[in-house]
Amino acid sequence: MSGERWKAAALPVALLVALEIGARASGIQSDALAPPSAVAVALAEAFADGSIIGATRDTLASAFAGLLLGGAVGLALGIALGIFQPFDRLMEVTIEALRPIPSIALLPIALIALGFGYRMEIVIVAFACVWPILILSRAAVRSIEPRLIEVSRALKLSPGDRVRKIIVPAALPRIFLAFRLAAGIALIVAVTVEIAINPIGLGASIMTAQQALRPDLMLAYLVWIGLIGYALNAGLVVAQKHLFGPAALAGEAR
Amino acid sequence: MKTLAGVALAATLFAGAAQAQNKLQVGCTATTDCASAMVAVDEGIFKKHGLDVEMTLIGINSNIPAAILSGSIQIGGPTSTVFLQAVDGGLDLVAVAGASVMNANSNANITAFVRNGITIKEPKDFVGKKVGAPGLGAFLHVLFVKWLVEKGVDPKGVNFVEVTFPTMADIIKSGGVDAVLTAEPFVTRMTNAGLGSIGARYAAELNRTEPIIFYAASRDWAEKNPDVIRKFRAAIAEAAPIVNDDREKSAASIAKFTKQSIELVKASAPNKSEPVLKAEQLAWWIDIMASQKMLQSKVDLNKVMLK
Repeated sequence: MSGERWKAAALPVALLVALEIGARASGIQSDALAPPSAVAVALAEAFADGSIIGATRDTLASAFAGLLLGGAVGLALGIALGIFQPFDRLMEVTIEALRPIPSIALLPIALIALGFGYRMEIVIVAFACVWPILILSRAAVRSIEPRLIEVSRALKLSPGDRVRKIIVPAALPRIFLAFRLAAGIALIVAVTVEIAINPIGLGASIMTAQQALRPDLMLAYLVWIGLIGYALNAGLVVAQKHLFGPAALAGEAR
Repeated sequence: MKTLAGVALAATLFAGAAQAQNKLQVGCTATTDCASAMVAVDEGIFKKHGLDVEMTLIGINSNIPAAILSGSIQIGGPTSTVFLQAVDGGLDLVAVAGASVMNANSNANITAFVRNGITIKEPKDFVGKKVGAPGLGAFLHVLFVKWLVEKGVDPKGVNFVEVTFPTMADIIKSGGVDAVLTAEPFVTRMTNAGLGSIGARYAAELNRTEPIIFYAASRDWAEKNPDVIRKFRAAIAEAAPIVNDDREKSAASIAKFTKQSIELVKASAPNKSEPVLKAEQLAWWIDIMASQKMLQSKVDLNKVMLK
């Protein structure tokens, strides 16, 4: 396994070396590009002065809060729509009208209504996270083995117990997958909101570094966001395997 | 901006709740225009006048009107064009104090920089060229169009695209545009890198002294806080001479706020600080913006200037 990992790392490492050599040979003078070594130094400096840590906290706090809020709403609605078909038909037009709205398109309204800060970012991330979780959890509930539902009827379980004891456990692996998808979206949307408007977090730091003509620092933040995204997904994959066993990942490229 | 105007009503409903802060928040972009506020923070001038001010770095100038209305910042530094378009769109903003004005120095910093292989001998040579502006309808673009018109060139013949300052050097180098509307320190950086030459000094030729950026607030907040406004104006009036005369102090404050290196900041003089804002200065902007069809209504000068 670790040998395989090294092979997979060979291409990016070779690219970095080539970039470094290329940058030094051509003596680039750019306000948008920097050699990898300068990026590494800038990253280390940003850690040393603590600025990147504060920015990471702001971004992750907003992304997770938005993910939890949007996830809760999406999950509740998804399960309700999955169970009650008439409710699903009633809500279909509303949901299909709201779902295609890019969350970023809400930015001007969100800025004027909520102002800068966590609140605006959390609301926009939540809006983006509701839909994948809603759609996938609705599908997960619908695809539950019908006999399980029959069992719950035979046992005369109350609707609350039916959700708690039968539906959620049966749909959980797929719901978790939806959550994993939404986590990636949450990070992307949080950083985008910061780049566009919100003066906090990693996205705003990228913009500040760019405007301060520090391409090395800007790219350092970019690399760091990539690492966070990678770590986030890796952590969730481990959690998924741990919680649901390898079956939960069947059919996925790992 | 029109979408913003549409929700202005909703904004005033929310704004009240968001304003419950003790600190006075002042929002500006990473330019030297708000240097008077930066210096007033660092030199303790705001404190001396009894104000606790925190400055917020805002990425894009056109976000400032919305940030003011949301209550995230109480005072912001929009450019004249952003401010007037916001007011024209229905946002209830007022100008409270002057920040920066054009003068011989700042005008000399502004140029149209053309890439190698393009020669501009006279204004009409820009016809048919692709010209990058940092923002369409923003300060430099409006000035350049005004210059073209004064020189008898139809601006419709020029193909304008948006190019942000930090990407200008690369785009000029790659030939993606023929010219960029830019300012120092980018002119010197691109000249030293041998990417091209100065095609026109349009701001110097226009030779204006109107405001570039001024401090603005929402009418609602400004009318409720006359005391804060009075103190703010006094502090800015005290800080402005430091910006204009003390390069060391102003450069240190600008570098601190914009996060630019001190060498970069010192490479060019900050734009001139002028704490007093006069109605007739805005009248010039209203005239040229109206002639460029950027304003739909007649902006009432007496209304947008806070007494």
